[in-house]
Amino acid sequence: MATNPTQPNHVTRWRVSAQRQLVSWWFMLQLGAAVLALALTPRTYSALFRAATARQLVITTWQVLPWFTSLAALLSLVLIRIVVVTALSYGLSQYALQMVVRVLVLELIPLSAAMFVALRSGLAFNAGAAPVAPVARLRGLHDLDPQRLRTELAPRVLAESFSVLTLAMVNSVVVLVLAYLTVYGLSPWGLPGFTRTVGQVFDLSVSLGFMLKVFLFSLAVAVVPMAASLEAPPTSSTMQPGAVRLFLVLLILEGGSLMVKYI
Amino acid sequence: MNLPEPLPNPEPIAHLERKAGLLLTLVATVILGFLLYVMFARGMFEATQQLVLISDDSEGVIVGMDLTFSGFPIGRVRRIELAEDGKVRMVIDVPLKDARWLRTSSIFTLERGMVGDTRIRAFSGILSDPPLPANSEREVLRGDTSAEMPRLVASARATLENLEAMTNNESSLNASLKHIKTTTERMTGPYGVLTGVLGSEDNAKKIIATLERTNALLTKADQRVFGKDGVMDGTQSTLASAKATLDSSGDAARQLTLVLQETRQTLNKVDAVLVEAQAVGANTRLATTDLGTLRTEVEASLRKISQLTNEINRKWPFARDTEIKLP
Repeated sequence: MATNPTQPNHVTRWRVSAQRQLVSWWFMLQLGAAVLALALTPRTYSALFRAATARQLVITTWQVLPWFTSLAALLSLVLIRIVVVTALSYGLSQYALQMVVRVLVLELIPLSAAMFVALRSGLAFNAGAAPVAPVARLRGLHDLDPQRLRTELAPRVLAESFSVLTLAMVNSVVVLVLAYLTVYGLSPWGLPGFTRTVGQVFDLSVSLGFMLKVFLFSLAVAVVPMAASLEAPPTSSTMQPGAVRLFLVLLILEGGSLMVKYI
Repeated sequence: MNLPEPLPNPEPIAHLERKAGLLLTLVATVILGFLLYVMFARGMFEATQQLVLISDDSEGVIVGMDLTFSGFPIGRVRRIELAEDGKVRMVIDVPLKDARWLRTSSIFTLERGMVGDTRIRAFSGILSDPPLPANSEREVLRGDTSAEMPRLVASARATLENLEAMTNNESSLNASLKHIKTTTERMTGPYGVLTGVLGSEDNAKKIIATLERTNALLTKADQRVFGKDGVMDGTQSTLASAKATLDSSGDAARQLTLVLQETRQTLNKVDAVLVEAQAVGANTRLATTDLGTLRTEVEASLRKISQLTNEINRKWPFARDTEIKLP
């Protein structure tokens, strides 16, 4: 019986690929843990680190906050109006507010903030993507220059995480205000009912899940592309390294959050 | 490495540290404010009292659900637990400012509709009753629409089957309708309703003939009764004579009354006579007693006279020989 001579090559290639993926995921986790450890270490906050972090904060958050908030508010207003009008037409107006809070605040706003920051950092990467000279590929965290990790990478990761957190939280509050104004107008008498509805939605598990999801989103958006960029082989592709993995991680986080909440 | 190298002299950003500080402050404020608002919305800053509602089934009840009174939420389900006896205990937090709506006579219901969530409602009919004390336990009345559905479907099915049986060609309703049709057709004949009611024109003719005879009879009776020298006239004259008789009877009665009054007076006199007679009788009784004594004395005297006479006869020369000589 004739054997296929190419089969061992496939198996070897598959094994090597799987091994590379595992190493890559492990490096990503290591990088995230290292940045978190740096962020939680008071000695890290040197003048250079603070200056670099402040610069990244302003670039990733300050510059985008106003118009992202405006855009998100506009889209949210449309969605809120659609939900409220539809609920009113079916005589289910008492559920409209709860639905708006659940759909927008808990799901769409954090996800859109994460996607926005991920795309923006990808655009920033692609603007100067093509490396001028080939650089060596990292094999592990020990290959990374600690000084560069402190002064350049950690501030950038923290700033992007902070950006996701800020955009999500600020826009959640804006959406809550818009929802109130859409349902009750400028009257203050709807505030007790509105507060009660928000309280019903944000029970302990949902609140903790919401905070955890935003935190993990921000970490994923900051760490996954960074880790992929650091360990990616030199290529002429303009696609941001780790983009697919980032979307996979976001999908898993969102799916897991939905499963925990509604199943 | 692939990460783009930072520019050696990045473009300076104005007020960098101030902007970064402002961002950090903003986010910290937003997060803190959001947390405080959610905690306030969850009622964590309210003083509450506990109410336990007991039910057979907690289906549809979730933690955080409202207890409403007149449509206003006055409490929130904090915990649902299964008791040792298999019943469900729903622990509800009622803010003290809203607890005044709950009275000892309040009734609690658990309603499940076809659409929408389950509702727990409180009804306080008499607001002057004493307030519901804290940690009270109350049975909850359940109204479950979905539980009623099978019975409703079975009833609807039976109704539809009955309806089908009623609308069948051989059904009683159809037969009745046919009969009604026949009857109404008859009613359109020359004798109208009578034919429909009596079944045929011959019967209707008989009824009409009977009516005519009855009319004639009534005419004759009218003449006999109300005509000249009819029964009514005789009756009226009889009534007049009876009235006169009654009037005379009244006079007789008045006279009789006078006689009776006189008789009463006479009887009163007889009563007086009788009283006197009773007195005479009493005297007579006394005299009779005295007569007995007198008689005894007379008899004693007579015996003495008799003895004296006998003594004289014995002693007197004319005494008879009373000796009896035996032969």
